[in-house]
Amino acid sequence: MRLATLLLAARSPQKEPVPFKERLPLKLKSRVSGRGMNTTEVFCIHEMSVLFACLKTNEFSQKLCSNEIENFQKCYSSSLTMREGRKEKEAKGILIPGEKKLSHKQVNTLLRQFPQFV
Amino acid sequence: MASLKCIRNKIQSAFILYSNANACKLTVPHKMMSQYPSYYISPIYNKDIQSAMTKAGETQKLAHIPTRAALIDQTCSLTHDPEVSLMINYIMKDGNKILARSLMEKTFENIKRIQIQKYHKCETEEDRAAIILNPRIIFHEAVDNCKPLMYLTPIKRGGVKYQVPVPISDKRAQFLSMKWLITAAKEKDSTVRFAYQLALELIDAANNTGRVVKKKQDLHKQCEANRAYAHYRWS
Repeated sequence: MRLATLLLAARSPQKEPVPFKERLPLKLKSRVSGRGMNTTEVFCIHEMSVLFACLKTNEFSQKLCSNEIENFQKCYSSSLTMREGRKEKEAKGILIPGEKKLSHKQVNTLLRQFPQFV
Repeated sequence: MASLKCIRNKIQSAFILYSNANACKLTVPHKMMSQYPSYYISPIYNKDIQSAMTKAGETQKLAHIPTRAALIDQTCSLTHDPEVSLMINYIMKDGNKILARSLMEKTFENIKRIQIQKYHKCETEEDRAAIILNPRIIFHEAVDNCKPLMYLTPIKRGGVKYQVPVPISDKRAQFLSMKWLITAAKEKDSTVRFAYQLALELIDAANNTGRVVKKKQDLHKQCEANRAYAHYRWS
């Protein structure tokens, strides 16, 4: 009696081929979430290394490296202004032509323009 | 009956006061110190800049933009200098501006005396021409010479803190330069006055020598030693 109940309760081994069940719709949504967005761009590394080389050769006197210093500071200020402008545009989701790295809002605007039809 | 009325009036007036106070609280943004909204622009009090703007025709743009009132020390006086007044504020302790201002004036006097002494000791005309007698020019030169190009900031990567060289904003460079000058002037014998020591430090820094310039160069050397970590920064 006990053996019979056990046999009834036990699951039979799966038969090949396993039938496929569609749990979620098999298509991508036409939007992305903004999680995991960390931009780690480092500006002016090249200018900084050039400046370091110049300073080391001239025993850290700034007069002889005025050109390199100017380049470095110009690079820093321009990168600051560029980053600010880009941040504003990314926050609003405005597309910048020629931009390769898009923010999630920009991707969403792009996907809204060209949604997926299945 | 009369006393009852009086009490009621008092309560009413108190309520009105309370509600008025609440209304005040609503208008003042409590997070910020300033009462001005963010769209108020700061005033242009320098007459040279004003005349340059009228020539360029930019004054009409600003005519209808709400502007903040000028601060008490922002004047169009010939002796006014924003960098000097900033230095006075950095010297100031416990809000004692009168003392800070007098110290700065004394410093300028000392610079003038030292430079004139040097001037009269010189034998040739060429040497005399090389000496700067204007203390304000010396001050600006000194502050410019002590400004660092970059600084070190600790950044944690993989549980280890690295000292990473990062570029510095102009405002922070100016602050560090002035702070170093002041701390250098404070490291002195008890018999020497602060104003005299600051004058010596400023003259040294204007000639690109002295302790503060060395401190700046030491910082640059440290940055150079840590240049391998430069790509760790996030900006």
